[in-house]
Amino acid sequence: MREEVVKRLYIFSPSLRIWHWVNFLSITVLFLTGLYIGSPFFIGSSGYEATYAYAHNLTMDFIRFIHFSAGYVLFFSFLFRLYIAFFRKGDRLFIPAVWKSDFWKGVLEMVLHYIFIKPWHRTYIRNPLARLAYFIFYMALALMIATGFAMYGLSKPDGFWAKLFGWLVPLLGGEFMVHMWHHWLAWLIVLFVIVHVYMVIRYDVIEKEGEVSSMFNGMKNFKETPVDAEELS
Amino acid sequence: METFWEAFRRHGVSRRDFLKFATAITGIMGLSPSMVPQVVKALETKPRVPVLWIHGLECTCCSESFIRSATPLASDVLLTMISLEYDDTLSAAAGEDLEKHRKEIIKKYWGNYILAVEGNPPLGEDGMYCIINGESFLKHLKESAEGAKAIIAWGSCASWGCVQAAKPNPTTAVPIDKVIKDKPIIKVPGCPPIAEVMTGVIMHLVLFDSIPPLDAQGRPKQFYGNRIHDTCYRRAFFNAGQFVERFDDEGAKKGWCLYKVGCRGPTTYNSCGNIRWYNGLSYPIQAGHGCIGCSEENFWDRGPFYQRLTTIPVPNVEANADKVGMAVAAAAAAGAIAHGVISKLRSKPSKEG
Repeated sequence: MREEVVKRLYIFSPSLRIWHWVNFLSITVLFLTGLYIGSPFFIGSSGYEATYAYAHNLTMDFIRFIHFSAGYVLFFSFLFRLYIAFFRKGDRLFIPAVWKSDFWKGVLEMVLHYIFIKPWHRTYIRNPLARLAYFIFYMALALMIATGFAMYGLSKPDGFWAKLFGWLVPLLGGEFMVHMWHHWLAWLIVLFVIVHVYMVIRYDVIEKEGEVSSMFNGMKNFKETPVDAEELS
Repeated sequence: METFWEAFRRHGVSRRDFLKFATAITGIMGLSPSMVPQVVKALETKPRVPVLWIHGLECTCCSESFIRSATPLASDVLLTMISLEYDDTLSAAAGEDLEKHRKEIIKKYWGNYILAVEGNPPLGEDGMYCIINGESFLKHLKESAEGAKAIIAWGSCASWGCVQAAKPNPTTAVPIDKVIKDKPIIKVPGCPPIAEVMTGVIMHLVLFDSIPPLDAQGRPKQFYGNRIHDTCYRRAFFNAGQFVERFDDEGAKKGWCLYKVGCRGPTTYNSCGNIRWYNGLSYPIQAGHGCIGCSEENFWDRGPFYQRLTTIPVPNVEANADKVGMAVAAAAAAGAIAHGVISKLRSKPSKEG
């Protein structure tokens, strides 16, 4: 039996943890229903008149309803996420300090570590490379929400959502491009999820930081004081 | 110049028919019935407006569409509502005299005439890819635009560039708003635009002496406010999940939704779904073919028209955003697993030592 002294730091606030799982659920639902909407792979209601098909089968209309509902959840939970960042320093870890040269040194260090050139790296609460990835992820989420609600809102050209996000359509060069961006960003988010899940498991298994349970209890274990520890409070 | 009402009387139109006409065009212009008295008053008092109609790089499909307008008849618009002073395609035989006439009209009605532009100017080789009367169309366009009250950009050519501006755009054709910056431009895109939309825009301009309300992209809201998808008579099939999979299947015979065979209705803003074509007879989707999005920017470069997403140029495979995304995700997952295994193996010695 081997004993190790670890520092247990409280990192993730309850609001953040709840947001994380709400976000997880809505993204999962959005991606799966989105795949169906982009390419409806079964004829759910053959044999019925279109008017009566709703009552009998899983229809495009219903899948879209779920997609839009989950979209609302994603949007408002995203606003909630930004809101809590104002009140707790520890909820602002997604902001990359791109204006500091030390930040880019840290990014380089992590890249070298991940491509097996540098066997060791400094301990972080959240390393610079991860911050960059999270920042891009948040940007992708924001654009995903904006493109989604632009397409959704323009069914009612003078409505609230069209006013809020409709300007995006000419900016991206027509609604067809809005659809394309919505697809590309969806896959970017999937890519993030894959790397995210891998990294969480990696830090849990190899570096023993208790990464998986941290999103339930908020605590992470460190063998030494992380270099960015002052960013917690 | 005489007013519309005077012109109507000259043609022997009764007051009753005149009022019927005023009511019909009020509807076509997308105005509420309470506006009918104002339309009547405008028809009685507004003089006909001189129009110069010039042609750049284009196929004349806009003119072809225009002459098929039913409400109002194109002939009514041309002969009694506007005063068409110049149209080089129709009066090519008149030769230099016509050019002289154009210059006279520009001088005489400076700031009062409407310029209708069909087609667009190519900028390459100093505009020498399109020559009108020995001069480049670019010069022709700038000269005609200078004294215009407003400019109508007919069709996708003048509005977005259309086929001649599609990649690789050998003549550097550009939409007219890239060349003329200081005049109000009304974009009436479509390849061609709907005839009633064209006459509707002209009527709004001359009757109310003002530009119709435009959206952010410069198109009249009343005609380009809605997606074809949202006004399509086949929408019920979309909502019910009933799709045409191939053009020769049962769904195609039953007139189901063309979403899966590349219909651009969900991304195209136009009035095809409600005004339709040939006096409301039909439109592409009703004829069984998906919309190709001809009134949208760069629609030629966003093919293939029979797929929902554009293809991404990956050598030897047919790829689109979803296929590439799937492949990248699979590669990332495989890479993550491999990376994890290697990391674990390499971390062992230091843990034990």
